[in-house]
Amino acid sequence: MFKKMLSRFGLIPPAHPLFADNWHYFRRLDQNRPLSDYEFVVFDTELTGLNRRQDEIVSIGAVKVRHLQIMVGETFHVYVKPSRPLPKNSTLIHRITPQQIDQAPRLAEVLPDFISFCGQALLVGHYVGLDVAFLNRACRRHYGAPVSNPCLDTMRLAQTYTEMQWQQYHDRFRMDVAYNLAALGREYGLPDFTLHDAYEDALQTAYLFVFLIKQMRSKGIVTLRDIFSAGQAWRNLF
Amino acid sequence: MSTGKNDAHNIAPETVLEFLRHTMPFNELDDDHLRELARHCIIDFIPKGTLIFRQGETEVEHFYLIQKGGVKIYLEDDQGEVTLKDFRGEGEYFGALPIIQNTRANLNVETVEDTFCFLFTKSAFRQLLDTSPRVSQYFLRSLSEKMINTAYAELRHHRVTPRTESALFLFSTQVGSAVKGEPKTIPADASVRRAAALMAELKIGSLLVTDPAGEIIGIVTDKDLRTKVVAAGLDYQTPVEKIMASPVITIPGHAVCFDAMLRMMRQRIHHLAIEKQGKIVGMITTHDIMLLQGTSPLYLFREIVAQRTLEGLHPLARKVPSVVRTLIEEGAKANNITKMITVLNDHILERLLTLLIEELGPPPLPFCWLLMGSEGRSEQTFKTDQDNALIYAWPQDEKKAAEAEEYFKALGERAIENLVLCGYPLCPGEMMASNPKWRMSAPAWQQCFDGWIMTPEPKEVMHSTIFFDLRPGYGDFGLADKLRHHLARTIPKQELFLYHLAQNAMEARPPLSFFRNLIVEKDGEHRNALDLKTKGLVPFVDFARLFALKHGIGESNTLVRLQLLREGGHISAEMYQETIKAYEFLMQLRLVHQLHMMENGQEPNNHINPANLSDLEKQTLKESFEVVRRLQSHIKAEFRLGER
Repeated sequence: MFKKMLSRFGLIPPAHPLFADNWHYFRRLDQNRPLSDYEFVVFDTELTGLNRRQDEIVSIGAVKVRHLQIMVGETFHVYVKPSRPLPKNSTLIHRITPQQIDQAPRLAEVLPDFISFCGQALLVGHYVGLDVAFLNRACRRHYGAPVSNPCLDTMRLAQTYTEMQWQQYHDRFRMDVAYNLAALGREYGLPDFTLHDAYEDALQTAYLFVFLIKQMRSKGIVTLRDIFSAGQAWRNLF
Repeated sequence: MSTGKNDAHNIAPETVLEFLRHTMPFNELDDDHLRELARHCIIDFIPKGTLIFRQGETEVEHFYLIQKGGVKIYLEDDQGEVTLKDFRGEGEYFGALPIIQNTRANLNVETVEDTFCFLFTKSAFRQLLDTSPRVSQYFLRSLSEKMINTAYAELRHHRVTPRTESALFLFSTQVGSAVKGEPKTIPADASVRRAAALMAELKIGSLLVTDPAGEIIGIVTDKDLRTKVVAAGLDYQTPVEKIMASPVITIPGHAVCFDAMLRMMRQRIHHLAIEKQGKIVGMITTHDIMLLQGTSPLYLFREIVAQRTLEGLHPLARKVPSVVRTLIEEGAKANNITKMITVLNDHILERLLTLLIEELGPPPLPFCWLLMGSEGRSEQTFKTDQDNALIYAWPQDEKKAAEAEEYFKALGERAIENLVLCGYPLCPGEMMASNPKWRMSAPAWQQCFDGWIMTPEPKEVMHSTIFFDLRPGYGDFGLADKLRHHLARTIPKQELFLYHLAQNAMEARPPLSFFRNLIVEKDGEHRNALDLKTKGLVPFVDFARLFALKHGIGESNTLVRLQLLREGGHISAEMYQETIKAYEFLMQLRLVHQLHMMENGQEPNNHINPANLSDLEKQTLKESFEVVRRLQSHIKAEFRLGER
């Protein structure tokens, strides 16, 4: 019972082999290598709502980033049928209709695919804490353990990058800076995105991620550890 | 859209697909091919100032398509001297050539902005070339015929409003502006025979009938003479008032021509009197309206030839654009169109000088009206400055000389005056027959040319180039031909003159290319308008003139000069082909641009905003500049410029 508790919080190796491998791998992760050496999976989820206890994932989109380049061919995109009917107001946000997910598999069926797609990559998302919370709740329920992959939040990265650019102290707390994906894309002059689903959002996040990492590289952020210490843009989810 | 089905590893992002669908040559691919290609795509971000390819060093592993941002492409020689070759922006690519030729990077490529690129691996790109002939053709072609023709088609399509709208002329032209002169009248008691004689004499189809007080009371037309007199067997002494139609149907001067046409059609008449402040100021006929519609150059041609007064001639030149638009719509090439404009202008000049000579009396000596510049090259567009001069035979004695001077002064000045009234602007440099400097006897002209040729000054060469495009316009063509022969004989031996001319031909530097709808000049500056004439056309004209003079070719038209140079083996077949294609394309682009401006009520100019061009037009224009660069390096090599 106690062991199960520890495992649920990622403190001891999970029993499931899929999770156990990653747990061991990330324990020994060398953070001093250049960022281009790591593999990242940039992902986004669509949810039935924002309540972390009740709401569920209805779609996952993800794309791989290797050598700090976006691998368009290595993508993951699924629709998931939630256990309860889709609330109407959520359809308004993600425009996924009940018909669209009627034939879709349950989260339990697609989770192993997604976990193996992520493999030993670092996870990246925009306001990633929310997506990971939903992901981990599902993982704990079905596998008794959360994912071990470290996560990077592009929103925090953007805040760090912006702060690095402002030299004056008072500028660091500018309130007029919007940190949503579209606003950041406009501010940094990234290509426009018109379509919005989990996959396109993941791709847009990947653009933002690659942009930020490469821009910060010229400011001395070279290794994974540099990122972590630069602005605590890092959430350790061990 | 797939619904619920999880084709997890088989999706291609819409963002990438959309971009490829709108980018040449990928837009040639069908959807399956595009999806396949998009799946092999790698997206890369390259910050500003990053060197992507280093010439001779970088192994090119990917083909790069720019999604956002831009790069500069340049060469660096052993001494570290940098030559900027091009700028590439969104939707443009780099890296194709090294992959096709399997070599290392041939040029340096560096980002000038934060840039996002779609990368395709060497093998994916090669496979694309193998499987899609249309795409490989795109990458492999130089200035192929197909591309040019597609560009022409696109020009016609997008830039000239469709034919149905040519009726717009009728909606915008007021009948008052169609008035060609005072209405012609005949007293009510004159005989029908007199009326017929008067119409024949004036070459018109109608007369207004006046009462003894001079008030207009009716109209008599050639149709009335046919139906009411000849066909009815009426006595030819019958007074016109018996057969006239009365009252005269009028239309206010401010009404548009379309209204006039409607009224004529409704009432089945061919003539309407134009009324201004209660007074009849002229007539408008169905024929006038047909001319306005510009259906056929022939009508205009006939009208020019039929003019008996200088005043009648003045409005005719303004009708040239409406005639030309029909030709453009029907797909005529610029060369034919400029020739047509030249023919029409030549006829106007001929009529004008003939009428002037009738007025001034016969000339004391044979003379020839010389045309120079674009007129001399038969390459006129809508608004070309006057460039003309006058040559006359050698006067045997002082008396004859004085007589000639006086006569040709009057002729020159009166002609220029009337040409201005026709709408041909004055030459700012006063290179016109009204200027005594450019009115000379044949020996004086020969001396003048010899001065330019034998003891050339760079500045004089620059100012005299248009004289070397001379062509006889009116009068004794022999005088002009003799001068041309003299030049063709003399110039090939005058190396210094040719050297200056060659240097002059290098003056106009073509812009590098387009970059985000901006013109990029050689020094890397961005501008937003392109002077098509000085940057695009002038270098071709200069090239053809230079080599034509060097090889003793007496022709003045650029395309004919090039053809003769080719036939004489002075330029390669390849250079000839690409040169005429590029030149014709630029001429066409300018014509369509100017027509477009005129139809929007603007003064036509040579400034093109690249933002208004399609991708294909931009691409073709870019390639035309590439040809200019090749022509100029040919000049450089041929005349060893830069070695002296």
